[in-house]
Amino acid sequence: MKVTVKHWHAVAQWRWDTGNEDDSGDGDDVCGICRVAYEGCCPACKVPGDDCPLIWGECSHVFHMHCLLKWIGTAASKQQCPMDRRTWVTAERKVAKTHS
Amino acid sequence: MATDALKAQVRSKWQDAFKRINSNNPGITGLMAFSEVGHAVVHEETTQHLFSKQSWSHTLAFVKPINIKEDPPPKRADITTARRDFEVVNYCRRLPSDWCLDDDYMFSDEIRQKFYLVREDIDSYLSDYELSKDLSHISRLILRLKEWYDAWTPPEELGATIRNAFVLVFQTQLYSSLGPTFVKGFKDLIASTFPSSDPDIPSQTLDASTWVIFETLGFLDRYENIIASAGYEHIEAHVLEACAGQWETPMMDTLRTWMSEKVVPWLLLMYGRDANTTDEARALLSTIGSRFDFHVAKTLCDLRTREIFDIIVDYPDSAGALQDLKECLQRVDQRGALVKSLRKANRKRLLHPGAETRLILTQYVATIKCLRIVDPPGVLLFKVADPIRRERPDTIRCIVSNLVGDDDSGDSLVDESEPIVPLQQADTEDYTDPNWEPEPVDAGPDFRTNKPSDVISTLVSIYDSRDLFVKELQVLLAQRLLAITDDSTEKVEKERRNIEILKIRFGEAALQVCEVMLKDMTDSKRIDGHVQSQKASIVHPTIISRQFWPMLESSEIVMPGQFQILQDQYAKEFSTFKPDKRLRWLPHLGTVHLELQLEDRMLEVDVPPLEAAFIELFSEKNIRTIDELINAVGSVDKSAAFKALLAWVDLGVLKEDEPGTFRLLEVAEEAGPARDSSSRIAPTTEQDLAPVTSLQQQQAEQMKVYWKFIEGMLTNLGQLPLDRIQTMLRFAPGYDQTIEQLAGFMEAARREGLVGVKDGLWKLTPR
Ligand SMILES: [Zn+2]
Ligand SMILES: [Zn+2]
Ligand SMILES: [Zn+2]
Repeated sequence: MKVTVKHWHAVAQWRWDTGNEDDSGDGDDVCGICRVAYEGCCPACKVPGDDCPLIWGECSHVFHMHCLLKWIGTAASKQQCPMDRRTWVTAERKVAKTHS
Repeated sequence: MATDALKAQVRSKWQDAFKRINSNNPGITGLMAFSEVGHAVVHEETTQHLFSKQSWSHTLAFVKPINIKEDPPPKRADITTARRDFEVVNYCRRLPSDWCLDDDYMFSDEIRQKFYLVREDIDSYLSDYELSKDLSHISRLILRLKEWYDAWTPPEELGATIRNAFVLVFQTQLYSSLGPTFVKGFKDLIASTFPSSDPDIPSQTLDASTWVIFETLGFLDRYENIIASAGYEHIEAHVLEACAGQWETPMMDTLRTWMSEKVVPWLLLMYGRDANTTDEARALLSTIGSRFDFHVAKTLCDLRTREIFDIIVDYPDSAGALQDLKECLQRVDQRGALVKSLRKANRKRLLHPGAETRLILTQYVATIKCLRIVDPPGVLLFKVADPIRRERPDTIRCIVSNLVGDDDSGDSLVDESEPIVPLQQADTEDYTDPNWEPEPVDAGPDFRTNKPSDVISTLVSIYDSRDLFVKELQVLLAQRLLAITDDSTEKVEKERRNIEILKIRFGEAALQVCEVMLKDMTDSKRIDGHVQSQKASIVHPTIISRQFWPMLESSEIVMPGQFQILQDQYAKEFSTFKPDKRLRWLPHLGTVHLELQLEDRMLEVDVPPLEAAFIELFSEKNIRTIDELINAVGSVDKSAAFKALLAWVDLGVLKEDEPGTFRLLEVAEEAGPARDSSSRIAPTTEQDLAPVTSLQQQQAEQMKVYWKFIEGMLTNLGQLPLDRIQTMLRFAPGYDQTIEQLAGFMEAARREGLVGVKDGLWKLTPR
């Protein structure tokens, strides 16, 4: 017998590639600022994904971009990462690495 | 008759009287003077008579109760002499003395002693009546009683006192002799005087003189309640006959016409006989008339209350009955009875376990429409609906299916013509609203004013929260969107239009998640377009934003062989297009279109992924056991695996050689597979359509998180009532379940033997 797949309507979820290759669970990683899942969206947005992207820090912390920008905009932030109080430096995404 | 002693007594009294009147004047001068003051009747001759020992006995003889069966009637010739005696007697009665009481007593005693004569007649007529049940015996008895009464009545000349005394003693004797048999016969006689609603049966007419007899004998006062209840029963019978099951047009006006044409003339005869003018009659009738009118309303109200369930079933053909009910309820306070009757009928006829939710909802919507007519504020509805929402939570799902047009029956619960209005914010009362009215008194604490709104809003408002609807809507939308296998923009657009309409009801914000789901559909298509342009694939996935879709049934299956490769290729291309994202497959969802090339035949089928996975495994090796197959795809429920294999058996592709072992049929076997292939066409079960966990399952999942909490609580505190558990769970982080959900969970835990409940107290089952 030969099985030929003619058409496959499949279902998948998209996930942010947070660089964390531990893809084991359904564990919802949340934004440290708004406490909403990365795949959700920041409080200011209604639509997740490209419209409410993530931002990666050199410190390895990841936030909703909108959340971080809002935080950085406050005087209290002193331009630091809210998690570790190191000066915020946005990381270059190592795109090549994720699917090499 | 009069004994010597009596005569002596009478004489002495007369002498006393004389002395008093004469005031010790010589001869009878005092008496004469007394006479001059007012009474010319006392002349010498009568004065002589006055002392005659015969005067009183004459009188007594004249009023003596005679036996009309035997005694000759008193001679009229005597009347002149007798009248003189009466005058004297009467005259003396005016004296301030108490001796006349004694002679009344003597006279009354005579009546009592002779009453056995009347009683004999009563017994004889009544036994005739009891034998024949013929009311004419009662009529004749009444006439006969009148004869006795007339014969014994003291003449008017004797004055009112003795007549009153007679009436009193006669009636007392009479009533004590008329037992229940008579009362029943009398009631039937009265009832027979009502005009029959059947024109062919003439009613027995009693002429006015009969009513006079009733009055004379005191029956109208004595048996007033009997007569009224005959009237009430007549009304009840007529209302039942004319109105039972007649729901199309309002009956109240017809009944009122009947009242004024048939009952009022009777009432006039009965209660208006003393009236000389129309106005007097009206005044007399107004009290009794309104009592009868009230009884009509009450009887109709009771009837409609008993019929309410079927009236609702018949709606809108039963609009008349509802109009009647509304009018009656304004006169008769029967709202409580109506609620009780409808709840009882619902429990018995609607909410039994076998009833289809769809059916429940249809009746429920009709209930809403009907009760809106009867009770616009909606208090009754709220009270009636309560058991429905408590006992059948799946009605929400049914309502939502209907809302999105996902209903097999095709007909909508809602009038298409009814304008869509936003759901009200249930818990705010706008006191500045000029039309604001206080809630009806029977509203109760849980009632929330339902301003006039459409059926769906009313339906939704019965439930505690619209969130439940939105969640259910999400689940349903997810199922429908994932079921779209071809790249049909049209189907997605249809869902989008649906959601647009629902936004009007539920508000934009509540349906935001649905927006994202729809966007995922269009995004998936766009992404797929791009991926296909880079590297063509037969995989066309729907890529979902997991936070915005309802919890999907999870599965651990791993697609074997070429499927795995197809998935990986696609995922890689996706990540090239969207460098910061990756795909995570939900392998058990979706549909695969396969072509099978077997030795002697070719097959094209649409199958669920698990079936595709299994057949792929058979392409490597043509005999496999079920356990082997389950291992090969990772982990899958054995019954699900069986179901998938049997699908192939039905298609004649596999054969179960021995239990649990399947063989690929490279060459088709004649005379068909063991199973009838028609079962393949059998209607898909809900399980097939529902890759998405139902709301209830989801809630159960959520509840499991709180089980540790409950367990700890019960360990430390022993036993607790449900509401205490609910209160304490509020301290658990993120707890948002309603007490009903908690109750459902505890019940499930009880079935699993984790807890027990007694007298409403829950405790852990000792292990
Ligand atoms: Zn955030
Ligand atoms: Zn955002
Ligand atoms: Zn940091």
